[in-house]
Amino acid sequence: MEKLKNNAFIKKVGFNRLVLFVVLLLMYGIFAILSPTFLSYNRILSALNYAYFLGFLALGVTFVIATGGIDFSIGPVMFCAALISGYLLTQNGLPLILCLLISILVGTLFGCLNGYLVAYWNLPSFITSMASMMLAKGIGSVFTKTQSVSWPQAVQENGEFRKLVKIMTSDGTQIPTGLVVLIIASVICAVILNKTKAGRYILCIGSNKEAVRLSGVNVKKWEMLAYVICGTLAGMAAIIFVGAYSTVQPGLGDTYNNEAIAGCVMGGTAMSGGTASIGGTFIGVLIIALLQEGILAMGFQKDWQYVITGLIVLVAVYANVRSHKRKN
Amino acid sequence: MGEVILTMKGIDKSFPGVHALDHVELEVKKGEVHALMGENGAGKSTLMKVLTGIYKKDEGTITYEGKEVEFTNPKEAQEAGVMIVHQELNMLSHLTVAQNIFIGREKMSGKIINDSQMNKAARELFDKLNIDIDPTEQMGNLTVGKQQMCEIAKAISHESKVIVFDEPTAALTESEIEELFKIIRDLREKQLGIVYISHRMDEIKVITNRVTVMRDGGYVGTIDTETSTKEDIINMMVGRVIYEDPKTASNVPSGAPVVLEVKDLNAGKMVKNVSFKLHKGEILGFSGLMGAGRTETARAIFGADPIDSGEIFINGKKVNIKSPSDAVQNGIGYLSEDRKRFGIAVEKTVAENSTMASLDHFMKGIFIDKKKEADVAKKYVEQLKTKTPSVEQLVVNLSGGNQQKVVIAKWLVRDCEILIFDEPTRGIDVGAKSEIYHLMNELVKMGKSIIMISSEMTEILRMSDRVVVMCEGRKTGEMSIEEASQETIMHAATRREG
Repeated sequence: MEKLKNNAFIKKVGFNRLVLFVVLLLMYGIFAILSPTFLSYNRILSALNYAYFLGFLALGVTFVIATGGIDFSIGPVMFCAALISGYLLTQNGLPLILCLLISILVGTLFGCLNGYLVAYWNLPSFITSMASMMLAKGIGSVFTKTQSVSWPQAVQENGEFRKLVKIMTSDGTQIPTGLVVLIIASVICAVILNKTKAGRYILCIGSNKEAVRLSGVNVKKWEMLAYVICGTLAGMAAIIFVGAYSTVQPGLGDTYNNEAIAGCVMGGTAMSGGTASIGGTFIGVLIIALLQEGILAMGFQKDWQYVITGLIVLVAVYANVRSHKRKN
Repeated sequence: MGEVILTMKGIDKSFPGVHALDHVELEVKKGEVHALMGENGAGKSTLMKVLTGIYKKDEGTITYEGKEVEFTNPKEAQEAGVMIVHQELNMLSHLTVAQNIFIGREKMSGKIINDSQMNKAARELFDKLNIDIDPTEQMGNLTVGKQQMCEIAKAISHESKVIVFDEPTAALTESEIEELFKIIRDLREKQLGIVYISHRMDEIKVITNRVTVMRDGGYVGTIDTETSTKEDIINMMVGRVIYEDPKTASNVPSGAPVVLEVKDLNAGKMVKNVSFKLHKGEILGFSGLMGAGRTETARAIFGADPIDSGEIFINGKKVNIKSPSDAVQNGIGYLSEDRKRFGIAVEKTVAENSTMASLDHFMKGIFIDKKKEADVAKKYVEQLKTKTPSVEQLVVNLSGGNQQKVVIAKWLVRDCEILIFDEPTRGIDVGAKSEIYHLMNELVKMGKSIIMISSEMTEILRMSDRVVVMCEGRKTGEMSIEEASQETIMHAATRREG
């Protein structure tokens, strides 16, 4: 085992991420054996649809968790952004591109709010994001007068944004462009986290905020930035979500928080901050998406899916906390 | 004074690499207040921890009430009647006074806590001690002095026979101290044995009967307070040991310009009207006992804590430092006394920690130039002889001395003109220590200026060109290295008013 860990290739990719990837493949194999329909292309597309928006949420929250904070508002913020921009598109007839920008803007504003309160007012991120979760639910609901919003289909006017998620060729083949979009987003996030000053400071703040402050760094600014990135990605997730599922209802979205955070933690990002892995988050999200699709394919109800996901998250968090404790 | 109640004889205790207690003696009689004195690190607290069973002694005997005992934990000691009133109070501020006093042994009516009975018992206790505190008051609403009274009352309610006070007056006002002394005298009347740990020479004369002095983990002697002078005690504390090569003259030329001037600095409770000047190429030693306000002064100058009033001049120009970021912009670097909490990010690499204060110099567009970062980090690893397999090593895997070198590298990379070294060699082995001394001397030769806070007298006398002494937030002495000696510094460090 030690020898395996020291292999140059494995070292570069990261042993834990490799294990995670093997888990992903194993899960896929198990589901394929237990449920013959699971191997169909449509099933895969359906699982991927779930992974796209969840991936954006998880990428964002990875930055927040890297600082040692948490954001429980991302799911409802995503819905709030989709509701407001969708309402403006379908009811007020605003141009599509503007509505997409508004969606991102709504997410960013929530990120600014969370980030400002946590970084500058020193409020605990747990409570702050709980409050903004309620705000997001409420505002989305008020804006649309508690109506659900349906974004246009691919063939309809203004439906071209769906090409971000899926392209249907003339012979009926479906191309999962969303996967490409998510990979590009992941690469950009990985670059930000690992190669830029912002990422460096975000990780260092998670490791020891006071030491970073006493190094003359404006820690408030960088800590806030993590939440802003998270919010912006939640706004983008909204576009991806409606690109896959069209309809958003007010007052929902909180289950996605947990799944996104679970994917992130499974990927090896420490809940205590300081270490984070975008690649891990990516695979973690695929596992969550596969799990949810697999459980449905096996004929279990949604509530069983919660039970199983809950248990898996517990195991992941336990392993996460243990491995980081051992290090210190 | 009555018969002997507690005897500690030949107490010996070693930790890996440190001989913390070397055959120490202590004898406490009934109806006596016995002072335990010594410099920081002399072993007073260790001795008390051995007494109450927090540490296990390697050798020696403890005789209590005529029988040899060995407590294995503080609870056991407490039950036998030996109790410590700690310097930091262990109080739960949201509970009432009575609830705090009876914590862990609440008075019950069946399964339900009986608050009124506890209040009544607390009131009786207070009456006995002539303490005027409402038992139903929330602990957090009391002054520190009153909280201390509660802690004492708690000790007495355990029917203690020996009470150890660990620097009880550190946070008290003049009138609170008077009140405390009244209670201590009262306890003495009641034939309790009292151990009184304090740095304040004046109090020792007022309240104690005998003094036991410790130095460097060893037992120096026990004398009667009445027949001895302050000088006798100081001489016992510092000893007559000749330490290796103390500096005999300042290396700073007399005309050296002032790089940092602090005027009437006030910050919180621990920095009161502090003024001093730092010259180019100088090592300015800051001496004083624990809690003298040296670290607080450094943090205020560095912008880590807010300043209430006062002015700071750098190279003659007034500067406004509101945050560490401002301080760093002005060329000040601060090496904290508490490396783990304030110095390093442990899960980050040596390279990442080294550039933490100067990342702006390592940018290539929006990206960090990791090659340059690694090269510079490597250069300082070599220069400081930091023992690490590579600059990619996580700092958590380094020893204390090497972690300290990484923090020093952080400020060297930043190229600060003024460096504040707060206890730079605390918890560091001898080899690394002399390397750090050597480095500081190199730095001042290069024209940097250093403020060195140190609780080690030898370090102060060996490194400083000039010495500032603080006591209770005030500057109580300033002397050239020629004037500085253990005695003169100790005098200033125990002076109550500046």
